[in-house]
Amino acid sequence: MPSDEGLLDRFVDWLPTTLVFKLLASWTLVPFWARRTPVKPLPGGPHPSFQHSDNVQCMMNLIMPLKIKSPIGRAEAALAIAQNKDAIYAGLNNVGTVHFARFVIVGDNICMFSVYDGDFTNYIRDFIATIGSVFNAVVKLVEGGDDVIPCEENVEAFIQWVNERDLYQVPDTATDFLRDQEALNGDRAASGNDDLTLLPRKLVLQLRANANVSLGSGYRAYPGFSVAQVRKQLGLGW
Amino acid sequence: MFDLADLQGNILRGYTKKPHVRYLILEVADRSAARRWLAASVSGRGDGVPQITTGNWGANKPDTCFNIGLTYEGLRALGTPSASLEMFPNEFVEGMTARALKLGDVGPSAPENWPAPFNEPRRIHLIETIYAENVEQLNAVQERALADGEALTLLGTREGCGFPDDVVHFGYRDNITQPRFEEVPDSQRHPDRQPRAPLGTVLLGHPTNLEGLTWRVPHPVELGHNGTFNAFRVLKQDVAGFEEYLDRAASDLLEHPQVDELLPHGDEEKIGKGLSRRAALREIVAANLCGRWRDGTPLALSADAPDPKADLTDFDYVGDSRCPFGAHIRRCNPRGGQIAQRIANNSRRLVRRGMPYGPPYDPAKPRDQDEPERGLLGNFIGASLGAQFEAMSCDWLNLGLQDPRITGSNDPIAGANDPGTSWFDLPLKSGGTIRLRGLPQFVSTRGGAYTFLPSLSAIGFLGSL
Amino acid sequence: MVDASIAKQLVEAIIANLPAPVPGKRPVHTIGVGVKGEFVASDVARIYCIAEHFNGQPVPVSVRFSNGLGGLEQHDGWSDVRGMAARFHLPDGTASDLIATTLGEFFVRNVEDFFEFAKVAKLEKYERRSWWRKLGDLLQLKVPRRNPYPNETRNVDAGALRYANRHRFAQLGVFQVGLIGAPKSYARASYHAVHTFWVTAPDAVRRPVRFSWQPVAGVRNTDLKEAEVPRHKYLFDELEDRLRRWPARFMLMMTIGEAGDALDDPTKPWPGTRIRVAMGTLTLIKVAEDQDADGERISFNPCRLAPGIEVSGDPILEARLGAYEVSREMRGGCPFRWR
Repeated sequence: MPSDEGLLDRFVDWLPTTLVFKLLASWTLVPFWARRTPVKPLPGGPHPSFQHSDNVQCMMNLIMPLKIKSPIGRAEAALAIAQNKDAIYAGLNNVGTVHFARFVIVGDNICMFSVYDGDFTNYIRDFIATIGSVFNAVVKLVEGGDDVIPCEENVEAFIQWVNERDLYQVPDTATDFLRDQEALNGDRAASGNDDLTLLPRKLVLQLRANANVSLGSGYRAYPGFSVAQVRKQLGLGW
Repeated sequence: MFDLADLQGNILRGYTKKPHVRYLILEVADRSAARRWLAASVSGRGDGVPQITTGNWGANKPDTCFNIGLTYEGLRALGTPSASLEMFPNEFVEGMTARALKLGDVGPSAPENWPAPFNEPRRIHLIETIYAENVEQLNAVQERALADGEALTLLGTREGCGFPDDVVHFGYRDNITQPRFEEVPDSQRHPDRQPRAPLGTVLLGHPTNLEGLTWRVPHPVELGHNGTFNAFRVLKQDVAGFEEYLDRAASDLLEHPQVDELLPHGDEEKIGKGLSRRAALREIVAANLCGRWRDGTPLALSADAPDPKADLTDFDYVGDSRCPFGAHIRRCNPRGGQIAQRIANNSRRLVRRGMPYGPPYDPAKPRDQDEPERGLLGNFIGASLGAQFEAMSCDWLNLGLQDPRITGSNDPIAGANDPGTSWFDLPLKSGGTIRLRGLPQFVSTRGGAYTFLPSLSAIGFLGSL
Repeated sequence: MVDASIAKQLVEAIIANLPAPVPGKRPVHTIGVGVKGEFVASDVARIYCIAEHFNGQPVPVSVRFSNGLGGLEQHDGWSDVRGMAARFHLPDGTASDLIATTLGEFFVRNVEDFFEFAKVAKLEKYERRSWWRKLGDLLQLKVPRRNPYPNETRNVDAGALRYANRHRFAQLGVFQVGLIGAPKSYARASYHAVHTFWVTAPDAVRRPVRFSWQPVAGVRNTDLKEAEVPRHKYLFDELEDRLRRWPARFMLMMTIGEAGDALDDPTKPWPGTRIRVAMGTLTLIKVAEDQDADGERISFNPCRLAPGIEVSGDPILEARLGAYEVSREMRGGCPFRWR
């Protein structure tokens, strides 16, 4: 407790920890700065990379708001998945590049979280070919989905639609997120006149533009291996 | 049946009797003049603008073949309505330079390093190809094509010339396999065990190999139907480096404990007449990297030695075929072989139209620093760039995802290899493998573009915009 | 090989930035404690590296944990980088050193960058930011800088921030340092060796790798909000107490780099998608009895490596070879035989 600490000093230290301040700041300061220093939404999916281990065990985080935001809407989504169990397994086994696929209902959203190998468009396209009917059944229930189904007849549009709903993956290293923002604005310079103290604001504004994000590209216990490699190594047949 | 006369000829025909090719890379200078030029190219008039060669030659073979491809920027420059432009696929709109990471165009192949005119991709609008029997004919057609100076500006040219017997720079016989299509008379010279490909493999508006899937055909129908996409790539080939690698690999193999299994003593004659053990090992390595012996014999049919009596393309990767899983032709076209993406067997096929450029490599000449540039002017044609060319380049050529035994390695011949980490497994008869390491990058990209090869109706449509 | 005079200049630049000289001691990581332990390699370590300490036989290890800040005053509770230097004692009397810190990346790429950093990031007066400026920060959605600790009058934070604002490669290192905090125990932090090394496998295959120590007990920082006043001395007692009750263990994790990774750039960490091999377990047994020999005079060097491990072209790693030797001589540290 240093002697130079006055009442106002203690107040200003305490203020940002309060709920009231955070809420007020969200309602007033955030929109203000969003207008003054706008940020564009960042694209979703894994950061493009040419290196091998960056192209296996890639994460897809798909959030799709349901049209009918009620337990009935959620039940329809649940049934659509449950009725297609065979199709989903057949797709998983024969597309051959998906480690895990999880359908999760969160609030009034049907979400799909999957771990896959290789290029995103190839994986979705191969799935359209094998379980297109499941995609149609699910996407029919999603806001904005009617434009892109039947997916077999709108392959390119469907892939684009999925890509738009795939979450931005905030880099594991915080400052790389700054580089992502800069790259979106065409700034690829090695150095500039930055202000690191603005990182909190930039993060807040980005999370306003990308409301749903993946924190990091996912934590992996055994990174670097494809589905087929794991199955082969464990003697399961691929 | 569909009308072969509506297609451009280079899609289903190889123009094999015309070994000279010239690519004219052009920018639209004046929109209306360019449209008039396009209209004239399909008008049927004998003089003036060269006529587009179609797929139907009737009784008379043309002396020269003339075809065009348009980039997205080119379609835009011609004033194609934006409603139509929006229907073109993403990868085509972005252009080849934006897809560098997917295609392996990194390091020496990166678009930042491409020479003119490919360093200004936005200005590349039209790529015209002229095939002829000699250079004089190329010049004559070029003169006619550029006679209207207002329509198009020439940004650059690339020229190639075939070698006898379809041999390419690395010394292999190429151009053996092309997909055979339903509804198209079989022009291929060799029996082929692969199933006939649906027309949608190579033409928009027809059923594709993936059940139930069709690619989006840009509207109006005249524009998109029967068109296709081409990945044009200028691929520089480091033949000196390749031969040097074969030397090193052969020397290393001579010391390897299992070399006698790879090449039993006395079998050198089978590989080639009068070959030393070392030279025979070089040929074995060359064959395994490619998947074919230099004369074209597929390893899948004859893994121990080249065999002039073997079928050239009537084989599949099943049973005890001893073609390495990572061999170039197998990586790019796994046929019916076992791959992780089972749905994708026979779905990423491409029509390949390539021609070598640059002087042939002379092994007798001492290797100095100034090797002239040589390589392949390649065209990889398919109805969907994303589903065929890119999918093959990304997941198969450079990542090796189709087979866990090659995952983590790049294509030995065409891949973006780093000698510190590259590897390739040579299969042995006993089932074991010998791992080769240190493969450098032999092929680097020196330019390219995604082009749309419009049908004759489409060219007429664009001409009348 | 870095010029001997450059090595001396590096050490002098570091010494020049100290609050007060520390004759006879390390200029940075001055405060530290020596610990004895044993390393047993995992069953796969020998597949990747022929170095003797990876062959599976238990190997005695000397470790020194330290606080990064230079100077004689001990401030365990201040936000500070911690060091973990380990020496694997090989049967033939030679050794292999591995020096790691809780900061996973460096903030300069090479020696020139470092000299510029040393010029910009000098010790400056560090005072509490006035309340109205802090309010201004909050209104701009910035986080005001932390209050100085009691008795903290100078630090390099402002200079480091200025440097990072001008050099993007430094931003991650500077940002991480700001948040690093104080661990609850030396045995509950992750330490990273940062630089790339090349390991040779029995089949002569060489791989570029980076090493990290991961605490089996897990990472735990002190919660800076709870502790009203950061304690000055608790880490040594904590460690002694912990080791008296049960041994503390660390896993040695080795990440394998790929073509295209920044092998020689210590400012760029490798992504979590890279293959990670568990190379073995280090068990810390007791605090060393002779702290003068095992805590002070023991002199590690990041380039003292067993056959099977080699340095990469990382210029900072190369510079550390000379700088550590110069520093050792200046403070009378114990020389140790090279191979």
